Amino acid sequence: MEHTVSFQIAETGKSATAKVPTGSLLVEALHEAGVEIGQPCGGQGRCGRCIVQVTEGNIRRRSALRLSVEDIADGYALACQSVIEGDLLVFVPPQEKIARRMTSDRVATEVKVPENYDFRWSQRIRRVNLSLNPPNMDDQTDDLARLQTALRTQANIGQTDCSLALLRRIGVILREAEWQVTAILDMASGDSDAPARLIDLRPGPTDEDTPLWAAAIDIGTTTVTFWLVDLVTGQVKMQIAEYNSQIARGEDVVSRIVYASKEGGGEEMQSRVVDTINSLAETACKRLKISAPEVIKAALVGNSTMIHLLLGVPAASIRLSPFITAVNHPPLITAREIGLRINPEATVDCLPGVASYVGADITAGVLSSGVDLSDNITLFLDVGTNGEMVLGNRDWLVTCACSAGPAFEGAGVVDGMRAMEGAIEEVWINGETFEPSYRVIGGGKPRGICGSGLISLLAEAFLTGVLDKAGNVNTSLKTRRVRESEHGGEYVVAWGAETEDGDDIVISRVDVDNLLRAKAAIYAGYTVLADQVGVSLADVHKMLIGGSFGKYINVEKAVQIGLLPDMPWERFEFLGNTAVRGAYYALLDWQARDRVAEIARRMTYIELSADNTFYDAFMSAMFLPHTDMSKFPTVEAALRKT
Amino acid sequence: MPIEIPKDKWPGKIRTVTLGATAAEGGTRSKTVAIGGEASLPFMHFENPTPNPPLVAIEIKDRKPEDWSPLLAEVWSEAMNDPGAWAKAAEATGADLILLALSVTGADGKPNTPDAAVAATKAVLGATGLPLLVYGPGQVELDNELLVPVAEATRGERLVLGICEDKNYRTIVATAMANGHLVTARAPMDVNLSKQLNILISDMGMPADRILMDPTTGALGYGIEYGYSVMERLRLAALQGDAMTQGPMIVTPGFEAWKTKESKVGEGVPESWGDWKERAINWETVTAVALIETGATIVVLRHPESVKRVHRAIEELMAV
Amino acid sequence: MALSGIQIYKLLPQTNCKECGFPTCLAFAMKLAAKQAELAACPYVTEESRKQLAESAAPPIRLITLKAAGGEIKAGNETVLFRHEKTFFNKAGLFVKVKASDGAEAIKAEVAKANAYKVNYVGIELCVDGFAVEADGGDFSAAVKAVRSATKRPLILVGKDTAVLDAGLAALPGENPMLCGADASNWEAMADLAKKYSASLTVSGASLDELADLTAKIQAKGVEDMALEVKGDNLSQNLSLATQLRRLALKSNFRPLGYPLVTFTEGGNGRDAVAAAQAISKYAGFVVLPRFAAELFYPLLVLRQNIYTDPQKPIQVQPGIYEINNPKPESPVLVTTNFSITYFSIANEVEGSGLPAWLVVCDAEGMSVLTAWAAGKFDSERIAKTIKTMDVASKVSRKRIVIPGHVAVLSGELEAELPDWEIRVGPREAVDVPAFMKQALI
Repeated sequence: MEHTVSFQIAETGKSATAKVPTGSLLVEALHEAGVEIGQPCGGQGRCGRCIVQVTEGNIRRRSALRLSVEDIADGYALACQSVIEGDLLVFVPPQEKIARRMTSDRVATEVKVPENYDFRWSQRIRRVNLSLNPPNMDDQTDDLARLQTALRTQANIGQTDCSLALLRRIGVILREAEWQVTAILDMASGDSDAPARLIDLRPGPTDEDTPLWAAAIDIGTTTVTFWLVDLVTGQVKMQIAEYNSQIARGEDVVSRIVYASKEGGGEEMQSRVVDTINSLAETACKRLKISAPEVIKAALVGNSTMIHLLLGVPAASIRLSPFITAVNHPPLITAREIGLRINPEATVDCLPGVASYVGADITAGVLSSGVDLSDNITLFLDVGTNGEMVLGNRDWLVTCACSAGPAFEGAGVVDGMRAMEGAIEEVWINGETFEPSYRVIGGGKPRGICGSGLISLLAEAFLTGVLDKAGNVNTSLKTRRVRESEHGGEYVVAWGAETEDGDDIVISRVDVDNLLRAKAAIYAGYTVLADQVGVSLADVHKMLIGGSFGKYINVEKAVQIGLLPDMPWERFEFLGNTAVRGAYYALLDWQARDRVAEIARRMTYIELSADNTFYDAFMSAMFLPHTDMSKFPTVEAALRKT
Repeated sequence: MPIEIPKDKWPGKIRTVTLGATAAEGGTRSKTVAIGGEASLPFMHFENPTPNPPLVAIEIKDRKPEDWSPLLAEVWSEAMNDPGAWAKAAEATGADLILLALSVTGADGKPNTPDAAVAATKAVLGATGLPLLVYGPGQVELDNELLVPVAEATRGERLVLGICEDKNYRTIVATAMANGHLVTARAPMDVNLSKQLNILISDMGMPADRILMDPTTGALGYGIEYGYSVMERLRLAALQGDAMTQGPMIVTPGFEAWKTKESKVGEGVPESWGDWKERAINWETVTAVALIETGATIVVLRHPESVKRVHRAIEELMAV
Repeated sequence: MALSGIQIYKLLPQTNCKECGFPTCLAFAMKLAAKQAELAACPYVTEESRKQLAESAAPPIRLITLKAAGGEIKAGNETVLFRHEKTFFNKAGLFVKVKASDGAEAIKAEVAKANAYKVNYVGIELCVDGFAVEADGGDFSAAVKAVRSATKRPLILVGKDTAVLDAGLAALPGENPMLCGADASNWEAMADLAKKYSASLTVSGASLDELADLTAKIQAKGVEDMALEVKGDNLSQNLSLATQLRRLALKSNFRPLGYPLVTFTEGGNGRDAVAAAQAISKYAGFVVLPRFAAELFYPLLVLRQNIYTDPQKPIQVQPGIYEINNPKPESPVLVTTNFSITYFSIANEVEGSGLPAWLVVCDAEGMSVLTAWAAGKFDSERIAKTIKTMDVASKVSRKRIVIPGHVAVLSGELEAELPDWEIRVGPREAVDVPAFMKQALI
């Protein structure tokens, strides 16, 4: 049986209609009607963001999670969990907009071109000016052979392959340019006998100093970062970033894998991330006043799931024990194959990863941070939705990943948000009155609390006794700031009168639990890693922290909550996005590219779930700052003072 | 060939805790008992003397429980109807301590009341001179509601009040501190959680020598190995000098064992389980002795025959 | 001394050739250190490294095996003092002792009864591992033959008189029994006998010094497979002795005492249960009880099963239906995984609320709800199978289950798998369960 479902869309004021069979989900009807609705949890009924209001007709709710009794009485339902069994009229409330511009877009990282970079020696890309003899009745060589001859005689390139698409264009280019052209080739390997691949043929000769464009791209679960690089000078000319539009279909990798495993889900994921990259490429090119096809090479990194989804390779096996990827070292491809709108013949190089949960973002991070060349034991930590870490030196490298959850990115915390305008980024609590003060990104009214804000809030609340060491809110304190709520005790950071939307901003017992779990997983991850190879944290000479996470956090606070180990501050180094930087190095220099492969090859992956060691370490870290206080002497001293 | 016996030298030891208070000390008990003080793994007399033997407590209820095994109902019979009489009978079997477990409801089916809880506690105190432990029914609000008046009405007795858990410890700890009692801190079979709860309770200002640790155990066949290893690890941590694991451990093998089908029922079970009564006693005894050998300082039992057998085992284990 | 992963790594070729089946030499080294791989898997290790690694891998407690037509029992090869450090490997053999003086008929009857005994514990069939025959007078050879006629399981022959024992051993051709009773007075003849019949030999001494002297001398006579009898006067002495022997073997790597232990328990009326329980948890390789009774062996077999469980596996609770606060047929059915902490947090919240409920614990290989779901161990298929195989329907009057909020995504599939059940999505956090039960489950 078919039912008619009509939607009234708040955002546009328009309406839309879909006809769907009995038993369809409301999201399917929305899709059918062409109405966009966010599903950050990937349609698992976990996040409650796809809430709609059924104003006429009845719907069957499989799950009423996040809905109150009153909500249900008022007709509210989760679109991904509600089954259509009759005609309906549905009101679609305004969707939370993903802020267009990211904070990281404001601050470009300073990037130095590696010493000794020389386009001629470091690159496998070559750009050559060719002057061809025009054909005549005596010289009836075909266009391609003529070009190949010129390459052989004028550039010493023995063999050259050319794609069909390019072949279709070369005749016109050669004639319009009157046989004076610039060829751009990928020499593929260092082997001079191997054929080169023609990427582009451009009319007229090109001046040696004219830029030659390429891109280094990091596909993060949350953010895609795009650097536009001039291969001639090696300089990064543009850095931009944008949310990965897959977020609308799941905030973490597992949700995305689940979504991608549904029918059509894989294709949708693939096109979403490609769209994000394309729009970044377009913006970057526009700002530099170049055209996207001028970009002739890209080096890509990302966690293994992101790379699988980008390539359209099924990722389901990543999620399931024994957690095997389809590929750790993808072959070279061209932009055309995955629909990237740069030069369609551009070489696209997805750097190699190690395992399901240790991907190319980490091998690239090791490359750019130099852990693999270090004389001393170094710990490299990349915190995003997952926590990945590498421990080692020039002799050995071990790595592991732990599921920290996205709490430090503001998810899983009721008033959590990403680090953008309106986020509380730092909190202080008065130890006598328990009154807080805070700083908001952008200086306006607060809308929520971001990761760095949560870390400092947790630290302050713990040091002032608002929280006990287990994270219980001490509701017996004499202040209105602490109170009972349905999720246990909570602490009010900002009263409704101060906030953007008029609601109190609070941190509850459940939020604290999620944060504790995240920090405990990370702390347990690197302590177990060190333990497994018999190294003590005290032997760690440097702790390098990658990811945007590290950029804004206060080390002291992070140590106070037991997220970072209690070691001298000078041992910590915050490196920002080490993944894109590694992609950039590999893009520039074939030796660096070979080094990434070597790093991936010699890194030993340690599966934390193999025994109880991780669990034990995790449980002992589920405390502020840690069950074993002797590991945190400076925090103990700070506590004694208060 | 002369062999050097490997002896462990530990920097730490188990804390000595005293239960109960005599008239001279502000209570009414005929004697006090000390537990703990060991500086070695259990019964390694060749390394260090064991200053105090492990103790056996008998669990009684403020009213006749409906869900106890017929074997227990048979052996305690009439005494189960009167906490005072039950306590006396328990003392007569040789128990070292009495544990009074308050019920959720009274005999009339209505929720237990503070007055009834205080009355039952006083009846037990009047009937026996042994030190006493009083546990709430295990529901957060009711526990707090019953235990506070009990603690106040028995000020100075050095009772052990329980059970403190990580989500509900403040009220019980506060009243124990105010009224000179001790507490039991129970965490669910995890070394870290046990330690964490001790830290939380200590952070409230409770002196360490007034905290007993209950790391929780399963019965034989129902997870005893987890409790066993958690206790072994806690004992090792304590000996290694970790102050927050040095509290004496109390466990409830009686409660755990009598919950199992093996002990509880005699009909409709496989023949290969053997004689019901002897099996039930073995179940409780084996659970208790295994835990005593990993470091339990107090075992709470239910059947008098088990008490006898466990006492005999302790006597042998204490022989130097 | 056992080597760490990094130490072993330094002895390997460090070429990451992957031929051993592991991605890197370090990964292989760590597996070797954890004794989860064999050095033979590496084709390129040097002879010198091989020698060094073999030395570090030699077991500090010798593995011995008793063999008969009906099976074999191993003891030894243990590597730790506490089970949480790794695991206890070879389960202590539980034996029943009969006396030759009881006469062939009585022996046969007793052995037949014990031999027929089997009991099921969590799906595993447990039984008596073997029998001991004591030469205490009477026709020993006839007694051994009587035992052998009633069981095919491995035997231990106990006595001091080598001539008598010889006659008994002669009745067990082609087996590897255990011969028990060597001491300072008879060790030489006993060693000869053990050699003659390929038996392992249990040795006892008045002191550890004497015991070590004896094992060294017996070994010099060519007997390698020995066991040590723990023969204290009481539980306390047995505990000390067993601990000292285990420590000497493991911590001091003292080879003359690096053999499995044998304990004979005495005393009826509950004492044998206690003594055997101590022996099982504290280091015995063989425990010999003076009698058989189901109510005695069942708890002991279960204890042994529990103590020898691998503690490295996540802490799990037994899958099953748990009754909380005496549920009635109309009480709600809550579903969760068998990770102990997950189980405890739900059970404690519900128990503490006083609300009755059926808690169905699914086998999710000991993972928490979210982890198990992510790893595909807690999906609609598994939940449906659990509901069906545990026959939950027979306990309740309302076919309704509540699944954890974290796996709300499963509700649709579950509706398909369990068509006549109502599927409800509960809260994500255990703490919210009682409120949910009060408000939403009416």
